[in-house]
Amino acid sequence: MDSINPLFWTRQEVYIVKIFMPIVIGFLFLCIGLLALFVLSFWQQHYRLWRLGKNEDCSGQIATRLKTLLAVVFAHFRVGNEFYPGTMHFLIFWGTLFIFLGKIVRLFSYPIGLTNPPQTIFLYASFISEMGGMLVLIGGGLAVFRRYILKPPRLETKPNRTLIFIWGVPLLMTGYFIKGYRIAAAGVDIPPDWFSWAPVSYLVSRLVLVLPTQPLNELLIWHRVFIHALPAFLLFAYIIVSRSPLQHLFLSPINIFFRSLKPKSVLNPLPDIEEAESFGVKEISEFTWKQLLDLEACTNCGRCQDVCPAHLSEKPLSPRRMTQNLKEHLWREGPKLLSTPPPERDPEPILGTTVSEDELWACTACMACEEVCPVYVEQIVRNIDLRRYQVLMETKFPSGLKLAIKNLMNSQNPWGMSRGLRAEWAKSLRASILSKGADRGILFWVGCAGSFDDRNIDVAISLVSILQSIGIPFWILGTEEGCCGDPARRTGNEYLFQTLAQANIEVLQKYGVKQILTMCPHCFHTLKNEYPQFGGEFHVLHYTQFLADLLSKGKLKLTKPIHKVITYHDSCYLGRGNQIYEAPRKILRAIPGLKLVEMERHGNRSFCCGAGGGRMWMEENIGKRINQMRTGQVIQTKAALIGTACPYCLTMLGDGIKEMGQEKTLTVFDLSELVERSI
Amino acid sequence: MGTSFRPVAILVELAILMGMIYCLFTGGKFVLSDLGLDTKYYPFIKWTLIIMGFLALVFFAAHLITFYPRISPVSGV
Repeated sequence: MDSINPLFWTRQEVYIVKIFMPIVIGFLFLCIGLLALFVLSFWQQHYRLWRLGKNEDCSGQIATRLKTLLAVVFAHFRVGNEFYPGTMHFLIFWGTLFIFLGKIVRLFSYPIGLTNPPQTIFLYASFISEMGGMLVLIGGGLAVFRRYILKPPRLETKPNRTLIFIWGVPLLMTGYFIKGYRIAAAGVDIPPDWFSWAPVSYLVSRLVLVLPTQPLNELLIWHRVFIHALPAFLLFAYIIVSRSPLQHLFLSPINIFFRSLKPKSVLNPLPDIEEAESFGVKEISEFTWKQLLDLEACTNCGRCQDVCPAHLSEKPLSPRRMTQNLKEHLWREGPKLLSTPPPERDPEPILGTTVSEDELWACTACMACEEVCPVYVEQIVRNIDLRRYQVLMETKFPSGLKLAIKNLMNSQNPWGMSRGLRAEWAKSLRASILSKGADRGILFWVGCAGSFDDRNIDVAISLVSILQSIGIPFWILGTEEGCCGDPARRTGNEYLFQTLAQANIEVLQKYGVKQILTMCPHCFHTLKNEYPQFGGEFHVLHYTQFLADLLSKGKLKLTKPIHKVITYHDSCYLGRGNQIYEAPRKILRAIPGLKLVEMERHGNRSFCCGAGGGRMWMEENIGKRINQMRTGQVIQTKAALIGTACPYCLTMLGDGIKEMGQEKTLTVFDLSELVERSI
Repeated sequence: MGTSFRPVAILVELAILMGMIYCLFTGGKFVLSDLGLDTKYYPFIKWTLIIMGFLALVFFAAHLITFYPRISPVSGV
């Protein structure tokens, strides 16, 4: 054996000059080629396809976008919400980053003179790489165990996923082998601190065999570096050129950056609704570019599927599968569209080929899928765009929905009750609430359920009673109020929605309304987030926000106890749609004697009652009934009461209790009813 | 120690090298598929890669048996 290198490899000038430098220089040239390949492939495989889509403005608020991007990528915000996959991904991500950090320092330290004379940074770089490799091995091991042994149903394993695991193992092993061999080649009497700087490679060095002379060992190290570096380089090329799942390395961050910053499930109005010849989405190029990016950014992780009430109730919808199918549709149809002049294009329709009608109409628009998606794929708007085509162009509705839409057209409410009866419920109350005008105080937007549905009329009366008892001036529109349009909009009937919305906005503006109090989260969401699209800018509050605020200010005092155990069911449009989780709980906690217990799925993970997305008006003939599933979740808490703050949820859970024969042990109340009893 | 350990070390090295070859070939096949190669060429590609893989196995086995080191860094023998 020739001379020993006393300071690890920092003085291995021979190694650096004869072996490392030529490889560094060679790979720098290859990196330029790799970069060119990336640009070309990105343009060819992705950017051109996204350009097929319609315009969508995703600019603005750069700081917010960057903040989210950094939080998701580096801190694993959302990714880490699930412990096992979150930990697994965290280890792989940070391990890989550490490896790169170590590699970059070592690759570029010599050309910029860092290693000559020896620098401590070189040793730290070695240590970081060693630890990075271990993190990737542990994370990768967890991933392999989960995917191939535990096999959760939401994971779909294709050969190109398996290839990544197989590719990763020899890459990591050869990395450790290079350094191990270099330590071994240094001889028997190596300095003791080498173990600290390269613990894994040191152990490897005790196992490998060496050649008798330094030149031969140099040759062997060169072999090993080449065997490690070339497949690593080709892995990058493979990721860039193929449609590997590892493309999420760049597609997911792009999607996160361009995510919608609007509240969830806020739909865009159809442009030129009076002039346009086609509405909604029939074929792939009718999506916006961001919706096409969404498809490509989906990592197939299946979190959406695990929380989807339609999927869990055995309906044919899996948000994961639907997105993946649409992605394959894009990959299949996109290149054909690009190679054909626009007038000659004959694109394949999505409905009937890639997405079935049952799938499309099974969605409750509950936003659970969007809430858990680590890469911010937006499903609801996309689904409703497909519904818009079905409804507006093909006039195809699920059977039960036809009646509700007809009623909305004729009577401005889905129940089909005469508009003249809208204020009947209020006649027994103090007449002043029917005196109109902004000077009368806050406008109480009753909504169709509060006006026509017997059970929800009780809720409206309770709310009125509360407001009157604490002397809050308010008024209602009475017969001039129409449906807010939510059922029409969520079911794709944008034309009807806009008609209803514009009529309501005209009335509200006529009376100079500034502040609106709603009883229904669907009305709240629509008035607050969607009416501004048509010039209807109002300060909209849900009653739970309003009452919670009164409680905070001491204007509302709850004194009569209710000695019961209650669980609160979060409405999707109050919770996930508008982030109102605390106000309803604050109200419940303020009622003396009432004990609040939470269901397993509560807050932003709440399970839909089954009525959203227009499902309130449709038959539920496939699979289990969602309201019964939710009622079952309530029963598990052993609560005697269910509190909710949504007319749809009240109806669905009330039905669920009856259908499951739980009337004697379980009762559902709206929060306003409980507050009224406690005043 | 070095001599008795050598066959095991050669087998490990061979497994790593063939793992690499498998990844490169399979990756290449996926790339061709993703770029839209007609499925009628798949059997030809498959057999070409199998033959090339077998040749690589023979080459690596012969190369390692002939040139693989024999000295243990621990004992120096």
